[in-house]
Amino acid sequence: MKYLRLFLCLVALALTACMSHLFVDTTTRLQLENKTDVTILGLDVVSEDGSSVRPWIRDTIEPGEKSRVFEEDWVGTFRVRVRFDKWNAGALVSIAKACGTYSRPNRVYNTLAKQGEPNVFEKNISGCGSEENVHMVYTETDLEFEGGSQYLVVSQDSTGNVAFKFK
Amino acid sequence: MLRFEHSLIPQTPYPITSPKGPKARVHTPKLYWILPPCSRQDDVPKFYQLSSKISFTILLFMKIGLNKILLLLALATGVAFADPIPAEALTQGGLPMRDRQLRDIGLVLRGGRGGFIDIGYTYTPSSEQLQLKSQYGVHNGYAFRHHYGVFGSWVLDPVSHFGFLTWFDRTGWDSQDFFFFPHYGDFAHISSALTWGFSYTNSKYDATVALGLQHQNLEKAGWRAYPHESDSLLFYWAHARFKNVSFQGSFYRNTFQTLRISLELESRELYGGAGNGIMTYLPNLSATIYRRKTGDDDDNFIRLNWEQNLYKQILYADVSYDFPDDGFRSAALKYYPDPSRMIGFEASCLRRHERSGAKDLLWGGAIDLLFLRFAYNSAFDYENMFHAKGTFIVEFKFNIGSTPDGKFFGRGAPKAAPMETTQSQFDMKKFMKSHADQNMETPTRDSEGRKVLHAKGIRYENEGAATATTSNEGGY
Repeated sequence: MKYLRLFLCLVALALTACMSHLFVDTTTRLQLENKTDVTILGLDVVSEDGSSVRPWIRDTIEPGEKSRVFEEDWVGTFRVRVRFDKWNAGALVSIAKACGTYSRPNRVYNTLAKQGEPNVFEKNISGCGSEENVHMVYTETDLEFEGGSQYLVVSQDSTGNVAFKFK
Repeated sequence: MLRFEHSLIPQTPYPITSPKGPKARVHTPKLYWILPPCSRQDDVPKFYQLSSKISFTILLFMKIGLNKILLLLALATGVAFADPIPAEALTQGGLPMRDRQLRDIGLVLRGGRGGFIDIGYTYTPSSEQLQLKSQYGVHNGYAFRHHYGVFGSWVLDPVSHFGFLTWFDRTGWDSQDFFFFPHYGDFAHISSALTWGFSYTNSKYDATVALGLQHQNLEKAGWRAYPHESDSLLFYWAHARFKNVSFQGSFYRNTFQTLRISLELESRELYGGAGNGIMTYLPNLSATIYRRKTGDDDDNFIRLNWEQNLYKQILYADVSYDFPDDGFRSAALKYYPDPSRMIGFEASCLRRHERSGAKDLLWGGAIDLLFLRFAYNSAFDYENMFHAKGTFIVEFKFNIGSTPDGKFFGRGAPKAAPMETTQSQFDMKKFMKSHADQNMETPTRDSEGRKVLHAKGIRYENEGAATATTSNEGGY
């Protein structure tokens, strides 16, 4: 009987292997709330080297508004970029590129852990030739998505930085 | 030979010397197995021995404390130590997968007769156990490896054996785990390799030739996370063996992918060699040339494998070395309680070529319990499960080979599983006699003690004849 029980446990374990989707979410349904005083233009997932961008929230969110819910296959820890229309606080890092020396911009962003240092960047690339002008005000951070419905609040803290909070 | 009796009972107390002499044997009640016809001697696998070894191990675990073991497993399978698998390892998983199948086939064709079956399914219960590391970050999900392999052969004439073999692997990563039907998430990468072919073995010359095809298919590669790959590749392979020397090659169009020469010098009882002695301590060597491209240049390398019996064919060392530049690749110390390799314990060390010095070495081990395999950081899983490390990997598996005379062995074993040989030769005369005795009616006797025969059938009396005969032959 001892071994029968062990065997049944093993069978039960084996069965859960293909039933994990019953209790493990493989997608995240994300909704964003804008509690800053500027307009959010969207939320993207960017690759660590910045070369690939996948848009996630494609809404323009006015201050105090909420976005629609977008469901994507992002479960895990990813680098997220939130684009702003502008940033009112003084804490802003500028990344400017001159024409002719175009290379991948050096990322000088700071993690959110370093409180007090600006985490909002203004990228200004004045292109020449075939390149286009790029102007973007954004923040980047690593966020952990657990799957299921998640509600992300973007706000501005006392130091003028962007703060993220899951609710 | 009409019937085969296979005893499952250890040391069945057969009275070898009975009053009637050594030939007469009394069969004690026993379980009967239905097994393919083999030899006149009825060979019985001592599965009870293996199962007792397994149950001994389980009991050992219970003694240590099953709860502690489970707790340890739960901790180890958790997030704490697990490392995500890199996306590149998934896209480069084709060659290790195909090469492992061909190595398996090489082991099976060492005999080229009988049969072999292998089936396995990895089990990683947590979605945070083997995460995927893509360029965007770390994704929760499941890495998996499902595989099976079958080889069967038919006897064409007393020396010729014709065989067919199929090896199939389905490996990858998906955001959900599954048995047969994947979820196909946005970041899934699922590919498969199917190797099949025919073999011909001539047991007079102890030679085997085999050839076939190898298909590598990309079932799904999620958008943007993986580089573009060819979705369907067709390779062909060939294998030739003469005694203990074999050549094996796989090709894509007109270029080779791998070329291997193997010298199995170790004497193996399973293939007619010695069961013990100095000849069993000879090494098994193989050298494989792998085609590798660095940029546009050929950067082929040779991997040397050296398998060495250290003690009585139950303790082995297995070392691999890469020429010309990469050097030491891996080493493993393997202990098989029985030379039939149904159960095995191994400790392995693998050089990853990621860091310098001792930090580059990945130490791990595995326990193989016939139907279950537990591994932690083992060199095999690092190579075949997309550089999985830092977590326990459980595999539900089974593999067993059989020889034409009905003996069983594990993958690559030098000896067959212990068999109990019982002499239960079938004697037709005895059988007929005992059968007849049972049917014969005891003659009845009258009051004076004379036998009274009751005639049956139709009886004709030939009264006119000089010698009166009685016939019951039909009277025509």
